[in-house]
This record gives sequence, C-alpha cells and structure tokens, in this order.
Amino acid sequence: VTEIWTQAALWLGLALLATLLSIWLRVATALSEIVVGTIAQLVIGAALGGALLAGDASWLKFLAGAGAIVLTFLAGAELDPVVFKRQWKQAGAVGLVSFAAPFFGCAAVARYGLGWSVDASWLAGIAMSTTSVAVVYAVMLEFGLNRTDYGKTVLAACFVTDLATVVALGFLFAPFSARTLVFLGVGAAVFFVLPWLTPRFFRRFGGRPSELEAKFLMLCLFGMGALASWADSEAVLPAYLIGMVLAGTVGKDHELVRRLRTLTFGLLTPFYFIRAGSLVSVPALVAAPAAMLVLLAAKMATKVVGVYPVTRRYGAPRQEAGYTTLLMSTGLTFGTISALFGLSHGVIDQGQYSALVAAVVGSAVVPTLIANAFFLPRHLLGGAVPSAGEANALPAEVGAVARRVP
Amino acid sequence: MIRRILLGYDGSESSDHAYRFAAELARRYEAELHVLAVARPPDLGDEVETEALIEHSRRHYEQMLAKLRRRLSHDVVTAHTSLAVGHPAEQLVRYAEQHGIDHIVVGHRGHTLFERWLIGSVARQVIAHAPCAVTVVRR
Repeated sequence: VTEIWTQAALWLGLALLATLLSIWLRVATALSEIVVGTIAQLVIGAALGGALLAGDASWLKFLAGAGAIVLTFLAGAELDPVVFKRQWKQAGAVGLVSFAAPFFGCAAVARYGLGWSVDASWLAGIAMSTTSVAVVYAVMLEFGLNRTDYGKTVLAACFVTDLATVVALGFLFAPFSARTLVFLGVGAAVFFVLPWLTPRFFRRFGGRPSELEAKFLMLCLFGMGALASWADSEAVLPAYLIGMVLAGTVGKDHELVRRLRTLTFGLLTPFYFIRAGSLVSVPALVAAPAAMLVLLAAKMATKVVGVYPVTRRYGAPRQEAGYTTLLMSTGLTFGTISALFGLSHGVIDQGQYSALVAAVVGSAVVPTLIANAFFLPRHLLGGAVPSAGEANALPAEVGAVARRVP
Repeated sequence: MIRRILLGYDGSESSDHAYRFAAELARRYEAELHVLAVARPPDLGDEVETEALIEHSRRHYEQMLAKLRRRLSHDVVTAHTSLAVGHPAEQLVRYAEQHGIDHIVVGHRGHTLFERWLIGSVARQVIAHAPCAVTVVRR
C-alpha cells in the first residue's frame, strides 16, 4: 500500500508541476501533462529506473481510463443540440469532409510514405483526423461568429468530425460479431432512453450532497464502456455518444458540469495524459523525427484542402476562413486517445506511437502559432471592411462583445 | 476633441492606474468612458478545458465589472462596460473601430518571455494597430 501512495504522490506531483507550467505558458493542461510525462519518464527512468513511475499498474490504468471516458463524455456534452438539429445537413457534410480528408490522406501517407502496416496506417488516419471543438469555439467567440449560421455550422461540424473519429476508432479494429450486435442493440436502447430518464431521475432524487448525479452518469459511462470493451470496441465511443444525447439536459446543468470537471481535471485526466506522455519513447522519436513531421504536415495540408474551400463557400472572408481552418487542424484529446488505443491494442508499436503522439502535440501547437503569427491581429487591418460577397458570413451585430452591460 | 475613451481593464494594479488616468481624462473632456474587459482563452487550448476557462473568466470579469460600475457612477458622467472573449489587443482594436473611439488607455505590466513571443505585449499590439491615439499608463 505504501508503494501505491508513493506512486500516487509522485504522479500528482507531476500533475501539479504540469498545471503550473500550463498556467505560466498559457497552454492546455493536457498538453503540459503529456510533455511532463514524457520528460519525467526520460529523467526518472534514466536516474532511478522506469519501475518508479509504474505506468502499467492496474489502479493507475483505471484512473487514466476513467479520465479518458469522463473527458470524452464532457466533450460530447458541449454540443448544442438545437443548433445541431437545425443544421445537421450542412454540419454533417462539413464535418465528414473535415474527418475524411485527413483520415484518408494521413492513412495514405503513413502506408505509402512511411511504410506502416495497413492497420497502423488506418490508426494514424484516425489519430490525425480529429478537431478540437473547444479551440474552434473560442475562435468563433473571438470573431463573434458563434451566433451566425456559419459559426454554428462549423461548430456542429467539429462534433461530427470527432464523432466520426470515435466511431472509426470503435469499429475499425473490432471484429464484427454477435457481440457487436449486442453492443449496438443495447447502445441504441440506452441512447434512446437516457435523454428521457436522466432529467426525470435527477429531478426526483438529485440536488443532494451525496452527488447522485455523478454516480448515475459514471454508472452509465462505465457500464457502456464495459460493454464496448466486451465487444472489442472502445469505451470512449459510448462515452461521446452519451455526452451528445445528454447535451440538452445534463450539458445545460452548469453546476453539475463544473463538479464533473473538478473530478476530471483534479484527479482523473492528469493520470491519463501523463501516462500517455510517459509511453512516448524520446530515443525513438529522435532517431526518426521524419515520421512525426510528415504526419503533422499531412494533417494540416489535408485539413486545409478539406475545410478551407467549405468555409469559403459559406462566404467567410479569406482571413477568417484561413484562421478557422488552421484552428480546425488542432486536436489533442482524441488524437492522444486514438494513439494510446493503438498502442494498448497492439495496432502500433512504441516508435509509431511516439511519432503519432508527437504529431498530435505538434497539431495542438503549430497551427495555433501559424494562425497567431499570420492572422492576429493583422486580419483586422485589411479585413475590417468586408467585401460584398463576404458580408454574409459576418453577424448582424459585427464583433465579439460577449455581453454588453448597460 | 476627445468624445469616446476606451479603457482596457483586467482588474490588475496596472489597469487600476490606467482607470484613474482614463476617468480623469473623461471628466476633463466630458467624454464617454467605455471599459472593455477581455476573457482570454488559453493560447494553446484543448477540449473541455478551453470552454471551462472561458466560462470561469466570464464569471470573474462580470463580477469585476459589477464592482467597477459602482466606481464609475461616482467618477464619470457617461460610462459603458463590456465583456469580450479573445486576445486582449485584438478585441480592444476591434472595439475601438466599431465604436468610433478617439483614445485608448491601457495599463502596462510585465509579461513572461513566452507570452511576448507568442502574441507580444498587449500594449505594444494596441499601439501598432489602433485606429486612434493610445496612452499606455505606467506605474
């Protein structure tokens, strides 16, 4: 037991260090945790032996896995179901293009450019196809586009992209069997019943210090996760779908979402992201850096090819279309989840995992740096007055003032 | 003639100095004082956390602006307070363009090397791109 507490203290010490770094550098905590995990494994492993971090301990794997599941659920719960229902056709088209272009493009690059196996190439395609909805949401708020049809469509499209990613991850490597049918049948019933049952159950028994809501949600997430694993699928798939179907009820309960975030960021996700970082082999990465660079370039290029024309077709000014496209190239959470799924299921080896995680980390950094360097705030100068053809993309109340206080 | 003054306010000590300067300026010129607070997402963000940070910043700045409005009612004749989301320099310049601001007042405080490298000092960026005169108030 002493050993477990020591390891837990060590990991939470690393989590605290990563959080301080993320505050200082103004970067996502997940990004900081992955990097800290990689460096810690390198330093502690070399100085004191790799066993000290013990990333394969079962209790640690549980916390890390639970972190990925709850984080994925929260990501799904951020969906705006009203907008999604209204714009599902456009959002579906944009989202699928945003998924398919990097999925097929990066898989082809991994297969024919890097000589990876077929399964490893498909996994690379999945890991590089993701989009960070939250980052795009922040961009939409900045431009005041979150209230326009364009902004709402792009945001809903990001959910479709990530949904396609988790569906591909959940089914591409799972053999289709009777278990798959059971999983699909039970899943369909659960996804149908939950939006009806959950608000009624919470109204009747919730709102108490015993945190019934959190227990109920985690029961659903772990139960469906177990079923997905039993069917050789991936637990984050039902978690994302449960998040999406409960977005209109649980997702609107800001207090509950805040409490779940506390649990997730305070305890669970540090274990997930530090573990994901600790499994990166720096020597393998240094020995063959080309794979990482090629995958990153392929992701950005395919996102641009897939998304930029669509944003332009919606009448977005060139600068904002470019900025949105670049930010749709970011994607840390689902990229890391996909890569770790590949490593833990033997689809990719540690060298390929290291290249993929490094490319995913790069995709969280490089597009943003390029966007800030070339589009901020210079886009205000030449682009302050839109041309006639560009005006449709701008909101009626142009600007990004979130709330005017009289 | 100065008719509309925009103050970039984040509740820090340096922005408080800037507030006193801007309020004095507004009184002397009988100008409107517009106060803009900007909730800033992380420069390199990710799922869930980015939205959580934006929500947290919004709550923080709404409370801060509520306090400031009480001071404004004593110090200035006409005042408006607003909250935006984004990069502070970009939002200040955008607001100034949209509201016909004649003069921007911002505080100046130290930034980490990384912040300066990533997007540069807010004051420097506002000076570079503002459509009007800018005063940077140093302590």
